[in-house]
Amino acid sequence: MRIIIIGAGQVGFHIASRLAMEKKDVVVVDKDAEALRQVFENLDVQTVQGCGSSPVILEESGIKGADILLAVTDSDETNLVAAFFTSLLSPNTIKLARIRGEEYLSYQDILMQEPYGIDVIINPEQEAVKIVETLLRVPGAVDVGEFAEGRIKLVGVRLEGDCPVIGTKLSDLRAKTGELKLLVGAIVRNEKLIIPSGDNMLQENDLVYFVSEEKDLKSALKIFGKRAEPFNRILLVGGGNLGLKLAMTLEGMSIHTKLIEKNPDRCRALAEKLNKVVVLQGDGSDQDLLREENVQNMDVVLTLTDDEETNILSSLLAKRMGAHKTITRINKFSYLPLVAVIGLEHVVSSRLAAINTILHRIRRGKVLSAMALKGEEAEVLEAVALETSDIAGKPLKKISFPRNALVVAIIRDEEVIIPTGNSVISPDDRIIILSTRQAIPQVEKALMVKLEYF
Amino acid sequence: MRLRYTLYVVGILMLFLGGTMIFPLLFGLYYQDGSVAPIARSIGVTLAGGLVLFLCFRGARQEAMTHREGMGIVAIGWLAAGLFGALPYYWGGMLPSFTDAVFESLSGFTTTGASVLTRIESVPRGLLFWRSLTHWLGGMGIIVLSLAILPVLGIGGMQLYKAEVPGPVPDKLKPRIRDTAMVLWKVYALFSLLETLLLMAGGMDLFQALCHTFGTMATGGFSTRTASIGAFNSPYFDAVIIVFMFFAGINFSLHYQFIKGEPLAFWRNSEFRFFAALCIAFCGIVTFSLYQNVYESLGQSIRFGVFQVLSIITTTGYATADYELWPSVCQHILLFCMFLGASAGSTGGGMKCLRIMLLLKHSYKQVFSLIHPRAVTQVKLGNRPIPHEVLHSIWGYFMLYIGLFVLCSFLLAAMGVDVATAFAAVIATIGNIGPGLGLVGPTDNYAHIPLLGKWLLILCMLLGRLEIYTVLVLFVPEFWRK
Repeated sequence: MRIIIIGAGQVGFHIASRLAMEKKDVVVVDKDAEALRQVFENLDVQTVQGCGSSPVILEESGIKGADILLAVTDSDETNLVAAFFTSLLSPNTIKLARIRGEEYLSYQDILMQEPYGIDVIINPEQEAVKIVETLLRVPGAVDVGEFAEGRIKLVGVRLEGDCPVIGTKLSDLRAKTGELKLLVGAIVRNEKLIIPSGDNMLQENDLVYFVSEEKDLKSALKIFGKRAEPFNRILLVGGGNLGLKLAMTLEGMSIHTKLIEKNPDRCRALAEKLNKVVVLQGDGSDQDLLREENVQNMDVVLTLTDDEETNILSSLLAKRMGAHKTITRINKFSYLPLVAVIGLEHVVSSRLAAINTILHRIRRGKVLSAMALKGEEAEVLEAVALETSDIAGKPLKKISFPRNALVVAIIRDEEVIIPTGNSVISPDDRIIILSTRQAIPQVEKALMVKLEYF
Repeated sequence: MRLRYTLYVVGILMLFLGGTMIFPLLFGLYYQDGSVAPIARSIGVTLAGGLVLFLCFRGARQEAMTHREGMGIVAIGWLAAGLFGALPYYWGGMLPSFTDAVFESLSGFTTTGASVLTRIESVPRGLLFWRSLTHWLGGMGIIVLSLAILPVLGIGGMQLYKAEVPGPVPDKLKPRIRDTAMVLWKVYALFSLLETLLLMAGGMDLFQALCHTFGTMATGGFSTRTASIGAFNSPYFDAVIIVFMFFAGINFSLHYQFIKGEPLAFWRNSEFRFFAALCIAFCGIVTFSLYQNVYESLGQSIRFGVFQVLSIITTTGYATADYELWPSVCQHILLFCMFLGASAGSTGGGMKCLRIMLLLKHSYKQVFSLIHPRAVTQVKLGNRPIPHEVLHSIWGYFMLYIGLFVLCSFLLAAMGVDVATAFAAVIATIGNIGPGLGLVGPTDNYAHIPLLGKWLLILCMLLGRLEIYTVLVLFVPEFWRK
């Protein structure tokens, strides 16, 4: 399997590191020698220096016979041209392109037909908006993933001091939940991911990932001490592409929204495009402005400017002034481990969103969808149980499943089963598996399917 | 550096090394020459040592390897190979001291081929086979071989690879380091097989053919005879070895490209052209000055002249003639070849043609910009521009190489070795060649060097094989700090 990645930025780097770890042949192309050096020294991949849009460079990197092309540079034009030449040079290669410009995106349909034939177009901002949307729909959650057409939700919540289940063993949790179907699939404690067994105890500050059915979600959140009231007032700081898109979405959801933007010209443009949203010209870290606009009554404050340091400070300020919840846009991955420590819990990153989508789109075959958990240490996979595989036909506690992986849900026709040790998987069930990155090859083995890529 | 983790990986390497000692054991069993007991004991000790490290530090396993650890593992791994590889000689009773055994062993692994054995014919064949096998393992690199066949080392493979494979710019033939290592070893093994067959066709038995193949392909230079290849006195063997020495001195990526079906791969590579041109020029000059001066016939002048030039420039160190009796212009050219060395990415040592070529180009650009003060210049290799940092690091390497040469030969002279011998011994060990001039010439050996001097030369061999930096960092206190 040969994968060519154009662009050694954060998105390219992370995807390359992921694929290299799964023992794929990866070639990374970039203009910047320094970025390439980073890639070459840290990852087991080949590098080619040059512009990814050049057909000569593409051929040098072995586009002929490559299985997948990922064009993920910051420049839409480079990505488009790279995809275009790929379809000329090697028509059978699957092409994924990252495209951000609104003008290009409005021609998305044409780009996906011949002669361009881009198979997947990824718009990081759109993905980020989607993530914020799901976060807003599940109040109290840090991270939300959807499976089985949204019927099953994987929700990450941080346990705060007043949470009623702190100190409970997982095996005893069932007694508290009663009828409610809920399964804790992973715990992130001190930046370490644990795939728990019944003996693990819940502690303060744990980030708990649990699986539940859509309809039980509210009661499930209550068990973890999260109020699940819908949001009514939202303040956006930063009116860039992401801010505008989100504002438009929120308008559609009829949520009372205010938007703060520094640049007067941009404000005017925003005001022209938006109808109900209140556009305010000013600085998001200006205390007087925040007080004037009643930040203490805001359900959510989102800081979305391009400058992550400003976003972090503005979010902290808003939180201090009484905002209930903040969502902070952070693009630099090295800041992510800090987030929980300084008291921000909701983070959105368009790059991380793009990476997740790409990984998700790249995986196919018997695996239906995939999602990466915080810090990418683990992955959630949705797959079909084959008749030939060992996992079907026996109670779960009897099958030899990799230690760092867990079956968190079984979907049989319309029925959703949150499994216990006695549950039995029958052939053709769809199962959802949570697995650490290292255990993925073993999961592949247990499923008797390779996680195929396209 | 995480020392525990480093030692864990070194443990794995030692287990591997112990495994390779099985082969000389088989030869020992076949010939029943008394080498079985010492080799079996060495296998036991090496495996036990490896197992102790492996088990003790198993808990320290890491997910990623840093640059430092890569260098640490390679440097310590090579030292360990040298020390444990010396056990068969020591217990075999052929050498008077452990120092001598380590000298012989590291001379093997670093493909130097400098020997302290005085009468090679009397050494049991099992031990001789081990001696040549160390060449073969060290030639393409012990670590590169383990990368290719041991999946455990997949993590951080690049760091290890960079620390062991010679050359200023690392080459990656395949996207994955494991595949790259595998490809290189396949090419290496293929050439070795060919040479073995050709030597056997000329009348050598399997044992001799293998030993000499290992010595040639790894550009090592250990022979099974005291008089080296000259003992066979066969133009056919000379010719076969000349050809394969030349092959071994070429960047192995080019061999791979050629086999993959790019007939012009060699010609398009400017380092190859430089290397080939130097070989032709030096062979021409040497042959010319030998003709009717030392040898009567032109044929003989070519046969001995070409053999010796290629043997030295590829840093093999085989001898078919005592070149110390040749005219001084020939000796001078050979001395020059000792500094030069083979191509980057080959199994040869020395400073590498690529570096010298780039330095010459860079120096020319300096002169050029004196004439055209406003010219914008760029050193290129083929069509590829070479960044300034690479040139800087090559200049740094050049200075270190010369500096170490001066320092070590001074220290050796201070131990009472005469000046010519001290110079030649240091350059012959740091360049991984083997025979030098003076008292360490092609007909002599290193047995007479004082004890401390031997350790100094052992260090030189290691410095030369691992291209200085990897070994030198071990002496920087900063490196050991946590």
